[in-house]
Amino acid sequence: MNFLQTFKTEWQLISHDAWLKVLLFVMPIILGFIIWGLFHVGIARDLPIGVVDHDNSSISRALIRSYDASPTLQVNHHYIDEQSGSKALREGSIYALVILPDGLAKNTILGKVPKITAFYNSQYILIGKLVNSSLLSAHGTYVAQLETLKYLTISNERVEQAIGQALPISSQITPLFNSNTHYGQFLVTAVIPAMWQIIIMVTTVLVWSKGLRDASENTWLSSISYRHQLIKLLPYALIFWLQGIVYLSVFYGALNWPMHGSWLVLVAAQLFLVLACMSVTTLIFFITLDATRAMSLVAGFSAPAFAFMGVTFPTTDMPILAQIWRALLPISHYINLQIKQVNYDSPIQSTVTDFISLLLFLSLLYVAKLIFLKRKKRLGSINKDGPAMQRGDNS
Amino acid sequence: MTWKQLLIREFNAVFSNIPLLVTVFGGVIIYSFLYPLPYTNQIPKAQSIAVINLDGSQLSRAIERMANNTPQINITKKVFTIDQAKTLLTSGKITGFLMIPKHFYRDLLLEKSPPLIFAGDASYFLVYGTVIEGLVRSTSTLAAQVKVSRMVMKGENVALASSQYTAIELNLKPTFNASLGYLNYIVPAVFVLILHQTLLIASGLLTSGQFENHRKADLISSHNDSYWLVNSVGRILFVRSLLLSLIYLVLFMFYFGYSFQSYGINRLASISDLMTLVIPFLLSVVFLGTVIGLLIPRKELVTVVVLLSSLPLVFSAGFIWPTSNIPTILNVIAQLSPSTPAISGFLRLNQMGDTIDNLIQLRVQLWSLVLLYGMTSYVLMQKKQREHSAVY
Repeated sequence: MNFLQTFKTEWQLISHDAWLKVLLFVMPIILGFIIWGLFHVGIARDLPIGVVDHDNSSISRALIRSYDASPTLQVNHHYIDEQSGSKALREGSIYALVILPDGLAKNTILGKVPKITAFYNSQYILIGKLVNSSLLSAHGTYVAQLETLKYLTISNERVEQAIGQALPISSQITPLFNSNTHYGQFLVTAVIPAMWQIIIMVTTVLVWSKGLRDASENTWLSSISYRHQLIKLLPYALIFWLQGIVYLSVFYGALNWPMHGSWLVLVAAQLFLVLACMSVTTLIFFITLDATRAMSLVAGFSAPAFAFMGVTFPTTDMPILAQIWRALLPISHYINLQIKQVNYDSPIQSTVTDFISLLLFLSLLYVAKLIFLKRKKRLGSINKDGPAMQRGDNS
Repeated sequence: MTWKQLLIREFNAVFSNIPLLVTVFGGVIIYSFLYPLPYTNQIPKAQSIAVINLDGSQLSRAIERMANNTPQINITKKVFTIDQAKTLLTSGKITGFLMIPKHFYRDLLLEKSPPLIFAGDASYFLVYGTVIEGLVRSTSTLAAQVKVSRMVMKGENVALASSQYTAIELNLKPTFNASLGYLNYIVPAVFVLILHQTLLIASGLLTSGQFENHRKADLISSHNDSYWLVNSVGRILFVRSLLLSLIYLVLFMFYFGYSFQSYGINRLASISDLMTLVIPFLLSVVFLGTVIGLLIPRKELVTVVVLLSSLPLVFSAGFIWPTSNIPTILNVIAQLSPSTPAISGFLRLNQMGDTIDNLIQLRVQLWSLVLLYGMTSYVLMQKKQREHSAVY
């Protein structure tokens, strides 16, 4: 059968199957929009924090104003005591509670170094860290101003020197490859591939199980040839590949996120990922030979993949067992490659191991074939033996 | 059929449904080990960085030592240009670098506030944050020392000077997760979602297996008598929600008791407070699962729908990305999933020590979802029952 012919017949099948159509063409777009929508702001703004101002002086008010001036923070709750403030912190309506002690202004002027305490919610680590660093920098800026002013008044130094007194060392902090630490660029580019893997695997199960739907397991098994079935998967591989190319074009074309590497390498890696995912799914399908059970296994396999990708929590700090499980997931090899290409513009030699890893998954197609042949052979012997057997449940 | 008979039938239906059992017991138990696995080290430590020291003074070497002494940083390379450092970084040998510019020591003596340059790989935010935290921490110690020594040189008392290097001190205290451990952050929330998703699948599989437009109807009805067609919908829903909720109550206790304890996660809530929240949570999920099961033509699609919703639900639950920064429309949709109020409720109750009386809004929300999905599944199931009875 030639390829064009196969594509035509499969296309006809797709157009008659609403669920396949949705999974192939609609779902990726909807899911993409949702994830992008969640993080499209990129940089968290105006996180609510609360203050308890026991001092109520010009200095305490100026400090509160400087916290509020930080783009990340918004002081929108003033509490009269710690108790009501901590209640708000516990219920999550504020992410930090800053307590300005009595005598703040007096002690500052006397040089007694008053101490402000800020409790920030570190249960939400990502938000907590943002609040922490924004409070620190807002506080640092205000104190440096205050000290510069002090040095200016007590001595006859120039402004520049007074700043040098207040801040003996300055620091320049550079986030490489994501210059404004944009969360969209960071998370969306990893979450979408994780969902893409899910879509590929889930859809492949549905495609495989289509044959089982209309015929019993035995008739289906005896009627098909493995090679022929694989050829029938090719049109789907192309559609999955297209999904990948579309999301890359949206990130690094339409949204204009920086892309330093080679499109050719990246797009080639996507094809390898598609084939790797489809191979894993094919194996799972032939082990179970049942749509529902295959789907359960695929779900168990692909759902936690994001945690293992090493984007949010670094791979190098995972225990060895987690690293082994990570290596069994096609998407982790692909994401290595995507980050290397997009961010680092690594030479192609450094991506060879990722390509080989993805390629290794294709060997599962051979394992699936062995299982297929074994089942078919057993089926043949059963048929020869005579009595019509009930559905053989081997899984 | 008596209540007892019905319960036995339902029990048999659940415990003979292999994919359901695999999802419920296999899934929940395997995930309780698998999901926390990447995070067992809690915080990234000892990130390899390079130093570009163009100053060469004794002080600049002291800076290197101070940075190396922080738990976050491990200086593994010394290079001479930024380009060299970048090459190391892109080949994965280091995750950041520190540059001490030329004449740093001289400028410090001249009180010119010379800069130190910190760079980290922001492809990985946690890595980046760790590197910068280590560098900032070590240099702020240095800055304080410089200030103290200057004050002493000007004739101030050492004890006084060392307490006066800043005008106002800010003491930041991480609260609820004092160690900033990643496992403590992810697991309490994701475990709620795992219970949510597997229960949705279980309840969906059970219902769709019975009501899907099946060809193998004869096979199933022969050994099960189609009890779901002869009993009233109210009775079936009652027994189903009771049985599945009881099974999940056990799994819930396994997660919130044994698992949390073995991972050292906060367990601040009392059992009775947890129960007030878990009951509407489980009921609403069973009913939502039933609704999905009734709306879907084939049972394998239940898993598809639930699986695809997982990542969007995690990221819109509000513990990763602040709700105030999520578009309203997505936030409203997320509130329709029992996972959203449940995650927030359990985190507040068990991790942050909020009181149950303060959770009234979330409880009302969960009970409203029970009502909404309970009624929807009632109406849909009645319709399906009529269609199926017409066939037989």
